[in-house]
Amino acid sequence: MDTVTKRKLNSEEIFAALKVFITEVIGEEFVEDMDITRESSFTKDLEMDSIEIVSFSEKVKAHFGENIDFTGWLSGMDLDQLINLKLDDIIKHIETCQ
Amino acid sequence: MPVIKVNNATVHIQELNKGAKETVLLIHGMFSNLSVYYFNIAPILAQNFHVVMYDMKSHGMSAKSKDGYDLNTMTDDLLALMEALELKSVYLAGYSYGGLVALKMAMRYPGRVKKLAVIEAPDPSDNETLGIIDIYSKEFLVDYINNFTDTTKMRMGKRQLDKNHRMYEYLFNETSIKSDMHNERAFFKDATISNISHDTLLLYGKDSNCIDSGKKLYDTIIRSKLVFVKGDHNVPIQQPEEIANRLKDFFEGWHIKFKQINSRLWQGLRS
Repeated sequence: MDTVTKRKLNSEEIFAALKVFITEVIGEEFVEDMDITRESSFTKDLEMDSIEIVSFSEKVKAHFGENIDFTGWLSGMDLDQLINLKLDDIIKHIETCQ
Repeated sequence: MPVIKVNNATVHIQELNKGAKETVLLIHGMFSNLSVYYFNIAPILAQNFHVVMYDMKSHGMSAKSKDGYDLNTMTDDLLALMEALELKSVYLAGYSYGGLVALKMAMRYPGRVKKLAVIEAPDPSDNETLGIIDIYSKEFLVDYINNFTDTTKMRMGKRQLDKNHRMYEYLFNETSIKSDMHNERAFFKDATISNISHDTLLLYGKDSNCIDSGKKLYDTIIRSKLVFVKGDHNVPIQQPEEIANRLKDFFEGWHIKFKQINSRLWQGLRS
């Protein structure tokens, strides 16, 4: 999944790609017990810590390209926003930047 | 995940704005990882600098190591990392134990450091962390997280708790980290600290229990400036923007600002 995607992906395809990244980052054994939805938040629902979010960000950048400026987008957020960040926020951001 | 081999060990690094001429190298603290800089601090510094972050051995996504947590080995690791990345000299910043690594780097390899920034470096002789190492248990971790990490607003679920517990168990029971850190107790009494001749920025939280350490360093390092920021020992997480801007202003200094003014003037004349 580390090749930059050129084609514009729809919301469902982005969601599917993000779910794969989450599985790769936190491990299949933990994902099996989780219900990953668009409303899932990174820290509370998915229990991802900051180094896992770094890893996830790298995968997003590698897959969707530098154009989406994922790190730059995250850097504009304060701690509360980062904690409450949901998958749907990221899907919308990627959709806008594609 | 960008990793490089340094002294036969895998080191996880992150770089921003690779094309920039000058490099800022950021060292995280013990039991933390590069994410302390990744989201807010590094992107601000990357507006003008090439930024390099790395995970220390056995931390974040770098390879585990049984030994070498003393400041000499940590600075040798850092030097090897700089060699691998072909960095001759850098603007160096370190947080907490990483601040001690940054200080030691300026003492041992002064020519490799352009300016030095030390955030919340503790005096190892009165550091509570050393006490934590001695009494560590899983129950202690739960209690510690519930009571002392509240200022960072982070809450841990079971998977994270287990993950952290595994890291502490490994570090405390299977590596030399305890004895290595204990052996650094006299670090602030090392007379060569006063030989540091770099411009040095000391950043401490107003409510930090490390304030006295900052004052001691301020009294010892000739070209140092001590700045207090709202917050406690967790200031990089509590006030990332302010920390980043303080670092940026300090590292830029007049040298780069002068170059920027020159460049703007030149562009103005050409248009």
